Amino acid sequence: MITPLSVLREAKTLPLRVNQISVRYASRTENIADPRVEIIRRTLYPSTIRNRASPVGTWRHDVGRRLQKAIPSVQAHETIERAWLLHQRHIRRARLAELERKFNCMKEAMDALQQLDPRLYREANKVEDPRARSPKELEALKSLKGQEQRALESRIRGLFPRELRTPTDTPPREGWRYSFKPIIELP
Amino acid sequence: MSTHLKSTPPHVPASQTTGQKSDTASIIYTGVIVNRNPIITRTPTAFERAYYAYHSRIERALHNPFPSEFYFKSGSIIEGQFEKEEKVREREAFGRPVRRVEEWRRKLHEKNTAKTEKKPKAEARIVIPGGVPQPMPREHEADRTGDVHSLDRNGERNVYLLVKSKDEKGKEVWRFPQGAVEGDELLHEAVIRDLRSEYGTGMDTWVVSRNPIGVYRSGSSPSSSPAKAPVFFYKAHIIQGQVRPDGKQVLDFAWLTKQEIKPRTESDYWAGVKDLLSDF
Repeated sequence: MITPLSVLREAKTLPLRVNQISVRYASRTENIADPRVEIIRRTLYPSTIRNRASPVGTWRHDVGRRLQKAIPSVQAHETIERAWLLHQRHIRRARLAELERKFNCMKEAMDALQQLDPRLYREANKVEDPRARSPKELEALKSLKGQEQRALESRIRGLFPRELRTPTDTPPREGWRYSFKPIIELP
Repeated sequence: MSTHLKSTPPHVPASQTTGQKSDTASIIYTGVIVNRNPIITRTPTAFERAYYAYHSRIERALHNPFPSEFYFKSGSIIEGQFEKEEKVREREAFGRPVRRVEEWRRKLHEKNTAKTEKKPKAEARIVIPGGVPQPMPREHEADRTGDVHSLDRNGERNVYLLVKSKDEKGKEVWRFPQGAVEGDELLHEAVIRDLRSEYGTGMDTWVVSRNPIGVYRSGSSPSSSPAKAPVFFYKAHIIQGQVRPDGKQVLDFAWLTKQEIKPRTESDYWAGVKDLLSDF
């Protein structure tokens, strides 16, 4: 009996490459103006026939052999991956536990502040809008010029300062900048 | 209504004026935890290095062929140099390639016949004038000497500012910078003012937020009111500069990791403050 379901099952076993058009881009033997243009064209539009490994392809003829050389065995590889994931899990758990401790401290502090002084608590809870400028700052901006004005504009409450340095593999050549002279007194 | 004096009487919170709380005048202190962020990335552990090396080798085995014609002009010196270096790296990873017997015989035959005509090939190498600039070492002089004033020490870790000052009883203690809230100012404003006044203007700091990250109340000593005064801690980062203590209130300072802070502070204080600091 042929049911619609059995037709579907048959369709699944058909090869997947039925609708693909494989192209071999022939090189232009006449009118080669600049070989560099040819190289770029070959790189941008590679051949899609799967008979050779290419820089942008997903097929290699000797994957099995190279994989055998690369990994000791399937079981060993899986064990290594599991060990790595376990290691990552330990790191992640430690990080989350640290964050939770810090958060609990913050919560305790805010609760204590609320009990102690409602005004300070309200002010501490305000969200800082980076676009807003306090009236003190506006007045200061009017009087300052040039370098001082730029110094005031550079530190925006509610955003982190641009001068915070991300960690790199090696330290900077000059080391830590010990000499610092403030341009203006920031509020 | 509380007075709007600009100068020094310590802040009396609003709850006092309505007569709700206890009759001790409560002073609020703000402390600041100044953090110097890590300068360099963490050193990978032996397991991590082994894992990355393992995966690099798999990548080398399975990666797509390198589009040499796109990156190098064919026949150029730098292409030859790159291919030579690649051969060395390939040999390091997988050993010498296995040659077939016929190929070996052919090479031997060529060598024997071409013996007389062989000339030493000129080594073509690209030389950068002035040499390749070398990066700075990860360990600093301050790591070797153990100079706690230095901000270059322990580049991988978070270091915090600890100062030696006199507490209310006149005893010299190591603790985070602390100051009383004055007048009508808000807590984070008090922190900014405190940092500027006591630690000189030689330090470029950024106080992260308006809200405190922790509170410390010394609960051990009985009735004395200053001991019960809460200290609200704020987080700040030092961007550049150095502490310039005035010598009057701040006697000494040190930039320490979390593990180094523990033995220097009192156990009661440490218990209240340890969860505010980063472990690494």
